[in-house]
Formats: sequence, structure tokens, C-alpha cells
Amino acid sequence: MEVLGMLGMGFATALTPENLFYCFLGVFLGTFIGVLPGIGALATISMLLPLTFHVPATTAIIMLAGIYYGASYGGSTASILLNLPGTPSAAVACLDGYPMAKQGRAGVALFMTTIASFVGASLGIVILTLFAPKLSEVALSFGPADYFAMMLLGLVAAATLAQGSPAKGIAMVLFGLCLGMVGTDVQTGQQRFTFDVPYLSDGVSLVAIAMGIFGVAEVIGSIGRVTNAEVAAQKITMRSMMPTKADWKASWKPMLRGTGVGSFFGALPGAGGTIASFMSYAVEKKVAKDPSRFGKGAIEGITAPESANNAAAQTAFIPTLTLGIPGDSVMALMLGALIIQGIQPGPRLMTEYPELFWGLIASFWLGNIMLLILNIPLIGLWVRMLRIPYSILYPAILLFICIGVFSINNSYFDVLVVMAFGVLGYVMIKLKFEPAPLLLGFILGPLMEEHLRRAMLLSRGDLAVFYERPISASFLGVTAILLLWAIYASIRGVSAASRLRAQAKAAEG
Amino acid sequence: MQRRDWTDIIGGSLLLIFGLWFLWHAQNHYNLGELRRMGPGAFPAGLGLLNALFGLLILVPAFFRKGEMPVPAIRPLLAIIAGGLSFAFLIEPAGLVPATVALVFVVALAEQKQRWLRTAILAAALSVMAVLVFTKGLGIPVPAFRWWSY
Repeated sequence: MEVLGMLGMGFATALTPENLFYCFLGVFLGTFIGVLPGIGALATISMLLPLTFHVPATTAIIMLAGIYYGASYGGSTASILLNLPGTPSAAVACLDGYPMAKQGRAGVALFMTTIASFVGASLGIVILTLFAPKLSEVALSFGPADYFAMMLLGLVAAATLAQGSPAKGIAMVLFGLCLGMVGTDVQTGQQRFTFDVPYLSDGVSLVAIAMGIFGVAEVIGSIGRVTNAEVAAQKITMRSMMPTKADWKASWKPMLRGTGVGSFFGALPGAGGTIASFMSYAVEKKVAKDPSRFGKGAIEGITAPESANNAAAQTAFIPTLTLGIPGDSVMALMLGALIIQGIQPGPRLMTEYPELFWGLIASFWLGNIMLLILNIPLIGLWVRMLRIPYSILYPAILLFICIGVFSINNSYFDVLVVMAFGVLGYVMIKLKFEPAPLLLGFILGPLMEEHLRRAMLLSRGDLAVFYERPISASFLGVTAILLLWAIYASIRGVSAASRLRAQAKAAEG
Repeated sequence: MQRRDWTDIIGGSLLLIFGLWFLWHAQNHYNLGELRRMGPGAFPAGLGLLNALFGLLILVPAFFRKGEMPVPAIRPLLAIIAGGLSFAFLIEPAGLVPATVALVFVVALAEQKQRWLRTAILAAALSVMAVLVFTKGLGIPVPAFRWWSY
């Protein structure tokens, strides 16, 4: 009952006109950029980070979160109509969604993915509401050694489970950690890697890194590559969207299974929506009576992964809000936004800033209801958005990046720094380095160093503290297994993500 | 297809050099301390070392497999960066509208085909939007045109 009382307070926070407006803005933008291939949640949240300097913390987080889960609703639209995923986690929706569109059932596919998204998200929020308070109680007993081990596991998991080669993922985490070292050392006041440039004494700006690497570099990489494919010439009418009884019957169990798979992978550090949706597709193929239907427009092939990635988008907030450990790079940006506002994420967040925590959860409910309305009666609007050419979109993106970063300090120098990171990000794209783990390393770097030094101070330099404490020992054990596997895989040239994708692709047959 | 994987050879080498430099800088400029009381140099030194090691791990196997030579798309790269720089250098002396117009026209050069009319309309529309959203809406103290405010 305590939870209900807190949730009531959360709704009081989320229902203020300002928060309601920003929640709507977030989910609207999220759907918009989710629908459009070539711009993702990461780039959009980076672009809107400067706004967090102008509005209160709770409002800012409500909006940024809205973009994140809104994008996972919109992502499947382009998958179904163009066979081109709008977001990475919607890639699976191509497998059966596009065949459905070719059979003239695009409307049904769009309707059912929205329903599946809503089911997955709602149950995800319930799980978040029930587990987060428990987990943050447990986390209060963590010592600095446990924290260090947990962050290490989070980073290694994010790097090894990401796309591409695990060794390159870990290298990017390390590079991010190095960037995080720039600035003033908290314990001694020593200036590190600042080279007497006063601008660097507060460290490299998170906003500049995120905007440069995910905004500017993405645009450079996308020009000439993103072309507007012909939108399937189908009129999406309300009548064409109505699923049959058989569609409902075939979908409700996969939605629940998808939610289960998604909630689990969402809460794991480093896994997230993409892996969750591929996994749930694999599960559906395993339990199906007739697996040969998959890839030819089987409805459970879109509803289960959609429930999974939306449930994952909600449960990803569990480690972020309770432990202060971001599961993926979008969550890392959210943590960054909190830190910018002077709020230290971690197990005390819930008791120190209850209106932020519960207000955010209440806003998830409101945001998902808004998304249901945005995605069913207004689906025609989004389908038309797919016709916006990239040559109009990218100057607008760049302009928002430039004005946004300029507005933080009214300094043109910040714009130059963003451009420098844009070049760095482009070099990384060309050398096939995944930029997302860099951001995780950058944000967790200073925290990890602090916990390591505190742990060493408390244990008087005895490293045994890491394996004598059961919590830390088990985190380190899992980390070691992942690392060994990563080294093995980099020599053999395989990765978890590519193997999963191969499994799902096999469905196409 | 090249005989060696040049993408990873370049990437690995860059990481190796960066890691070694980071290690050297941390060791020579900051106090390493000891385990019991780690100094400001210890953690960065460790990171530099690991960076170099992973650089090596990426570099060495790349010599023994086929791969591709990364080719940057020079035109978009230069146009986008030049667009950002023109915005940066115009916003303070000239104001928001000139900076926006310059950015839109310069970044349009990133594409092979130029559609001047479309770019002009886009520049005008984005200028109006920028002034409405940022100067009027969010109250960012940047005038639309600088010479009006003097």
C-alpha cells in the first residue's frame, strides 16, 4: 500500500501542466524519430540535453525518458512499411512485418505492434514499480568494493554484448574512461590532462561528446546512405487496421512471453531492447507448432518482439534509478542529465528525491497512454512522415545541435568542441568502432575511480576485499567469464549479437 | 578487399599510441601513490596501459585476415564541419539569423546535387523557427540580427 501512496504523489507531480506538456513533447518526438530511419533516440536525446539546463530536473528527465520509450513504439513502423528498421531494436519486426505488409495486412501489423508495445510497456512499468524499491534497499548495503565490481561488470557487459567485435567494444569503454579522467581530481584537486586550458578544468562536457559523436558524426555518416524508399502504396484506414479474432488469439500469449523476455534483458546491464527483441523472436520460433510460418508474415513474429523491446525500455530504468548503473548508452545519457542537475544517481535517489522517482514512473503511465492515442488514430500522420527527405532533415538536426550547445554557456567555443567530437566520431564510424560504449565509460569513469580508491583506503591496500566480499566476488566472477569469452571471440571473430541475428535470420529460411 | 584488415590495423595502432601516451603522461605528471592510498595518477595510468593492450589485441590479428581499407566520405565531412564552424563564428558578431542561413547553405554542399531554391526556403523556415523557439520561447539571449541591437 505504501507503493500506491507514493505513486499517488508521483501522479500529482506528473500531472502538473508543465510536466504533462514535456511528457507529451517527449513521446511525440520519440515516435517521430523512431519512425524515421537514420536518426535514433541517442542522437535526439543528445540534441535535447541542453534543454535540461533550462527546466527543472524532474521535467527534463520526464521528457528525455519519453523520447526513449516513444522511439521504441515508432521503430516498427518503418520496419513494416519499408523493410527498413527505424530503430535497431525494431530490426526483427522486418522479418514478419514486411511480409504482412506485402500481403496487404500493413494496417493490422501497425495496429498489433502498437497494442503489443502497450502491453509490454505497461507490464514493464509494473515490474519496475515493484522491484525498484526492493533493489534500492539491497543496494544500500553495498560497499565501495561492491560498487566498483558492479560498474566493471556493467561496462564489460555493455561492451561485449554490443554490436561488433567485443575487443573493440571494450577498447571504446576504456577510451571513454580515459576521456572521463580529464579535469580536476576530486580527492587531491590535481588538474589532470587539462594542459592549462581553463575550459577543461571541469572535464570534457558530456553534452559536447554526445552531440558530436551521436549527432554530427551520425549525420556525416548518413548523407548519401539514407535514401527515401518508396512507402508501400497502401492506404492505412481504421478499417484496414482491425485485426481478426484469430490475430488476437495468436498474439496474447506471445505478448506475455515477449514481455517476460524483455523485462529480464532490459534490467540486465548491457543487454537492452535489441537483444531482448531478437531473443523473444527466437523463443517464439522454438515454442511454435509450425515454425515454418515465421518470416512469411506470422503475427506472433511481430507482437512478441515488440512487447519485448518495450518492456525492456521500461525495465532498463531499474538499474539506472536504483543502483546508478546505466544499462545502455541512452540510460548513461539520462544519468548524465541527472548529474548535470546536481543529483547523484544511486540507491539514495528514491528516498532523497521521491517526487522525481515517482513522478517519472507516473509519467511512464501517462506517456504510454499518449503513445497509444498517437499511434492508432494518428498512424497516417507518421506514415506520411516517412516521406520527409533526409536533405531537409539533416540541416535542421545540425542547426538544433549548434543552437542547443551554444545556449548552454552562450559560448561559440562549445560549438567548436562539438565539431571536434564530430570528426572523432566519424573516424570511429569509419574504423568500425561502436561509439555507444564510449559514453558509458565516460560517465562511469570518475565514479569507478572514486569507489576503487575508497575501497583501497578502507581495506588498507588489501586487494582481497574484492574477492572476500560475496557481492563483489560474484560480480567479478561474471565479469571474468565475459572477458575470457570476449578475448576468445575476438580471436575467432564472432560476437553474441551477430550470432543472435544469424539465428533470427535463419527464420527467413 | 585487401590482403590485410586495414580498418583494424589503423584502429588498433591509434589506440596503442593513445594508450601509451596516456600511460606516459599519467606516470610523469601525476603522483601514482600506493595501493593503500592511490594517487591521482594511478587510475589513469592503469587505463592507459589497458588501452594500449586492447589496441594490440585489435592490431595483431588484423594482420592475418583479409579486410577493407576505410575510405572516408570527404565531401560530407568537410561540408558539415564547415557549416558548424560558420555558425560558431557568425553567431556572436552577426546574430542568430545570419548564422542559421550560413549553416544551412554550407551543409547543403554535402550533397552531390544542389537545389538552391529548396535550400533557400529551408534556410528561411529554419531561421523563423529558431528565433521563435530559442529566442522567444526559451529566452536565450541571442538577437536575431546583431546590428539591430547596437
